[in-house]
Amino acid sequence: MKSLLMKEFKLAASPLAYIFLAGALMTLLPGYPILMSAFFICFGIFHSFQNAREVNDVLYTVLLPVKKSDFVKAKYAFTCAIQLCGFVLCAALTAMRMTALSTAAPYVSNALMNATPVYLAFVLLIFAAFNALFVGGFFKTAYKIGIPFLSFGIAALLLISLAETLPHLPGLTFLHNPAGERLGLQMMILAAAALVYAALTAIACKKAEKRFEVIDL
Amino acid sequence: MAILEVKGLTKRYPSFLLDGVTFSMEKGRIMGLIGRNGAGKTTTLKSIFNLVHPDGGEVRIFGLEMPEEEREIKQRIGYAGGAVDFYSRKKLSQIVEVTKQFYDNWDDDACRKYLDAFSLDANKTPKELSEGMRVKFSLTLALSHRAELLILDEPTSGLDPVSRSELLDAFLFLKKKGVSILFSTHITSDLEKCADDITYIAKGQVIASQSLSSFMAENAAAGNGDTLEEIMVHYEKESLYEKLADERV
Repeated sequence: MKSLLMKEFKLAASPLAYIFLAGALMTLLPGYPILMSAFFICFGIFHSFQNAREVNDVLYTVLLPVKKSDFVKAKYAFTCAIQLCGFVLCAALTAMRMTALSTAAPYVSNALMNATPVYLAFVLLIFAAFNALFVGGFFKTAYKIGIPFLSFGIAALLLISLAETLPHLPGLTFLHNPAGERLGLQMMILAAAALVYAALTAIACKKAEKRFEVIDL
Repeated sequence: MAILEVKGLTKRYPSFLLDGVTFSMEKGRIMGLIGRNGAGKTTTLKSIFNLVHPDGGEVRIFGLEMPEEEREIKQRIGYAGGAVDFYSRKKLSQIVEVTKQFYDNWDDDACRKYLDAFSLDANKTPKELSEGMRVKFSLTLALSHRAELLILDEPTSGLDPVSRSELLDAFLFLKKKGVSILFSTHITSDLEKCADDITYIAKGQVIASQSLSSFMAENAAAGNGDTLEEIMVHYEKESLYEKLADERV
């Protein structure tokens, strides 16, 4: 597994996977749907899958003395590693907005979603959708990426719309509050999202292993 | 001792049937898998290597069951589908560095030796290499983990005559070192130059699997031709004739 993960980073990864981590900086944008940061981080990973397909990464790997299931696990490990880096960046910038920048005028009067633990929860849900719909969908054929990415794009759009809508509903304005209102509840929502992310990724990985095992290359 | 045994290999596609392919290969021999385009050579090799899943049949390599003991088998085997066409923008040295991590028997000295012998510059990328050089890089990767059996899918197609001749010389050298080689081709002169044995596939079925010399002698005696090309044309033209005749009816 360690060797396969190293192969992912050294041979299969597209530089765009790292460059699009800068999408996390969108966390700082006022008046902008900041959850697009999660979408762009996933977009960078999508480019890695596209690059891997074009350089025949699948064929190279299955010729190696490794289990096919380990190849799938390595793809998920790579995806999760990039997502973790993106999440850490988003979390650091969220902490900055909630503390040092909490009274900054553009954020106080921000009509769209503010950076809060709930924002981070939705970042994880978008990542989970990517792992289930895009990565899982990719392993149905090991070369088709268009429809899996479209499925993820629709799911991401729905999640972003939901996240932007919820704080405007009665009783849920605290979701949007950058000053730490009901912080405990916000942290619980983040923890629940982390569980959903872990569970959905694990289930998608297992399913992808089974799918990849039976396809002809 | 049979290094490779294939029994009743069957793979059904909507428009093609690989039909009970059976043959075996002895250690230290070069076997050519011959047949016209679309005969089932690549499907056979991919099925042997578990890249496609056969609907039936058995494959044993080094006496081990494929795919049950796939990992152990792959440590001792090299497969190349012709020229290297992966990671075209990465340096050969980077590909080598990653590939070596997967093999218990990787030999750095052998790798350097083959890179030198094949005049491969480790700082170049596969994209910068000619077709022939990329085939040689495939061989270098396979030989550096001391593969005992090489399975090569059309390694000589697309090569110029000089590169083809060099590659066939390399096969003969490897045979002397005890490496067994199974390669598919539709270029009959390649087989005449280096193959010990031949497995002839037509329309997904094995029509002969024997030593090249006995195959030639039997067909010459039957009046099917004196060269491999003549024999191949004899078999394939006959089937086309039957097909045309059917269409007239």
